Amino acid sequence: MPTVTVSAEPDLGRMQRDRLDRLHGVMGAQGVDTLVLLGNSNVSYATGARWPLSDPGRANVERPVAVLSIGDDRPHLFTTHPEVAQLDLGLPADHVHGPAYLEFDEGAAAFSRSLGDLVPATARIAVDELTGPMRRAQGVLFPGGDPVSADDVIGAAKIVKTPDELGFLRRALAITEQAIAPTQVALAPGLRQTELTGTFLRAAFDLGADANILDPIWQVMPARLAEGPWTTHGDIACPLLTTERELRTGDVLWVDTGISYAGFSSDFGRTWVVGTDPTPRQQAQFRAWRETMDGVLSVTRAGATGADLTRAALAVHGERRPWMDHFYLGHGLGIDSAEAPFIGTDLGDAYDERQVLAPGMVLVLEPLVWDDGASGYRAEEVVAITEDGWISLTDYPYDPYGD
Amino acid sequence: MATEVLPDDEALRTARRRRALEAMEAQDIDVLVLGREANARYVTGAPRLWTAGTRPFGPSCVVVRATGAVHLVSSWDEGIPAEIPHEHLFGITWNPGNLLAWLRGIEGVADAKRVGTDSMTPRFAQLLPKVFASAELVDAEPALEAARQVKAPEEVAAIRVAIAVAEAALAEAVAAVRPGVSEQHLAGVFMGAMARHGVTTPATQRVARITPGPAPRRPGDGGTAGRDDLVAFDAGVVASGYSGEVGRTWPVDPSATGAPVLDLYRRVGDLWHRLLESCRPGAPWNGLLDAYAAAGEAVPASPVAWGLGLGFDLPVVTPELSATAAREQLVAGTVLAVTAEVTDELGRAVLRREAVLVTDGEPELLTAAPHWTT
Repeated sequence: MPTVTVSAEPDLGRMQRDRLDRLHGVMGAQGVDTLVLLGNSNVSYATGARWPLSDPGRANVERPVAVLSIGDDRPHLFTTHPEVAQLDLGLPADHVHGPAYLEFDEGAAAFSRSLGDLVPATARIAVDELTGPMRRAQGVLFPGGDPVSADDVIGAAKIVKTPDELGFLRRALAITEQAIAPTQVALAPGLRQTELTGTFLRAAFDLGADANILDPIWQVMPARLAEGPWTTHGDIACPLLTTERELRTGDVLWVDTGISYAGFSSDFGRTWVVGTDPTPRQQAQFRAWRETMDGVLSVTRAGATGADLTRAALAVHGERRPWMDHFYLGHGLGIDSAEAPFIGTDLGDAYDERQVLAPGMVLVLEPLVWDDGASGYRAEEVVAITEDGWISLTDYPYDPYGD
Repeated sequence: MATEVLPDDEALRTARRRRALEAMEAQDIDVLVLGREANARYVTGAPRLWTAGTRPFGPSCVVVRATGAVHLVSSWDEGIPAEIPHEHLFGITWNPGNLLAWLRGIEGVADAKRVGTDSMTPRFAQLLPKVFASAELVDAEPALEAARQVKAPEEVAAIRVAIAVAEAALAEAVAAVRPGVSEQHLAGVFMGAMARHGVTTPATQRVARITPGPAPRRPGDGGTAGRDDLVAFDAGVVASGYSGEVGRTWPVDPSATGAPVLDLYRRVGDLWHRLLESCRPGAPWNGLLDAYAAAGEAVPASPVAWGLGLGFDLPVVTPELSATAAREQLVAGTVLAVTAEVTDELGRAVLRREAVLVTDGEPELLTAAPHWTT
């Protein structure tokens, strides 16, 4: 029986070779001859390129672009730093190119000439984004017909992680938890939310994070839903943005953050209480959450469906779905901070029934317990699916909750 | 930054929305379907969660020209301005069917003849015609770029705020420069300081680049600064959606700098003055490329200039877009991040990036961070 392993010494070269094998396999199965990738995480997946992500505005202009064809064992990379790509990624000189500026007609025209040299006119091309200039140049860029969605190819290739990928992901998660530790120690009344962000980011970079991937959340939860913002669904408003708000004794914080490392996204979620211990009622919330999480984990294994997990969560605490209405009970993690499989979304129960867990998939499980009048408890577990269960990829305590 | 989540200032968001509606009018676009956060912020004034890197296109904001109404994907009303009523908010969805149903239900959508998007994916290229059956789908980004490019005074003020935070955080990172320091540590010091100054979102995260080092190398590989190295800082933050950026270069050990390094600083100063002279309304974008040629300097790999604002703005000046740069002209009211960068044969680089407001008179420098001098 194959077993899922997490590489203790993950290897970038081996990881990329495995990824290209998978991509080529999926491309063959889907009848795709060439992938043209613009999305930062897709380019990183297909090439192994890593760089500190920019604000989306600057990222749209500066983005590297990847081209991978069936029958070619190396991707092409269009980048402002071809010499770095050659050295770091081991790409041959004829596979690295200057940058493609696909937000401009001139850039799209130049890229279409390059692509024409790399790909036969009849190629069936899959692409993950079509900028305006690409749409105007579509006939020249894609002479073989309208491009299909590259998301289907990338999604199928990346959903099951290799041992190297799990190894790097575990490092990304470890960096996050090691950076969270001093942040939690610093937590005190009078501290501002932004100061928690500062402590976390400084530590994360020192520990080797490549980038911050989202504005870290330290949301002060209301005691009652009615005291929170109006919502479209009447459910919890979360995540709400960080400000210079000062924390006060007894504030219940829902923490949610993540970083990137080696092309992997981490995710971290816990509940903290500021300056005091949780009340007995709040401790009871945690125990209820633990029961829910244990219930879900007890059915989590290869072959289980997403619906098996949602049913397990509902079986513990009944009538109300114990996760955020606008999110999910669980989601995949790795190349993106939320990727397939998605479980418990508004895609519906039938969709969840079709999501069959496989060995090597990664799930972030994020049930919550809301206890109107005394706020609630939410935390996240990250697990890798195995043949007969799961492996935890995280190791952070639940303090100040629990024994 | 405030202690609660607030929409952008009313005058600011009203001015921006008016410009967007004028752009729709000029391009005869009936409905805008926006996926890019900067565009959504531009027309709504509503802050939403910042994430790093590119994001796949998906409809998350709609503007209807006939009614002037703005619709936004948000499951809550915190930070949503009063002119976007609850019934114009749509909860976060993972289901494209629900998204299409939302679009279909928006007043004015059914009659739209021209619908503009700010990007596209193959999937939405198939799905959106199901909603806009009789409409032509067009690229609205050029119209939005034109609207965003020229800044209202309130926008220049917002950029100044972002620059001030970037410069304050840069000063702390500069103070941490010493032999043995790593790029990662300097980035962390910058991020920590940025957050303590009230901003938690960077514009760029490769904050420090140590040259020459064992070049080329990638960030985060543990390289540390030697006494003879230089540290180039690319310091940028996003405050209230607006990017503020500044670039400076400091020697690791000022006492170790000799004539060759001083010559680099002299060259970057000479180049900078030529670049600044090119920042005049009516001047072609490629005046900035010509400045490099006139100074006898090689053009760096990244663009020499780009617009600062919400997201990226015009112009983007680089040799790869030289025909565009020869055709297009600078416009008063544009804020540029202009980069002067010179290198020597050892691979040492001196970077200087300033934010410049193009005006009808002299170009106005918005950045004021100190430079290293002997």
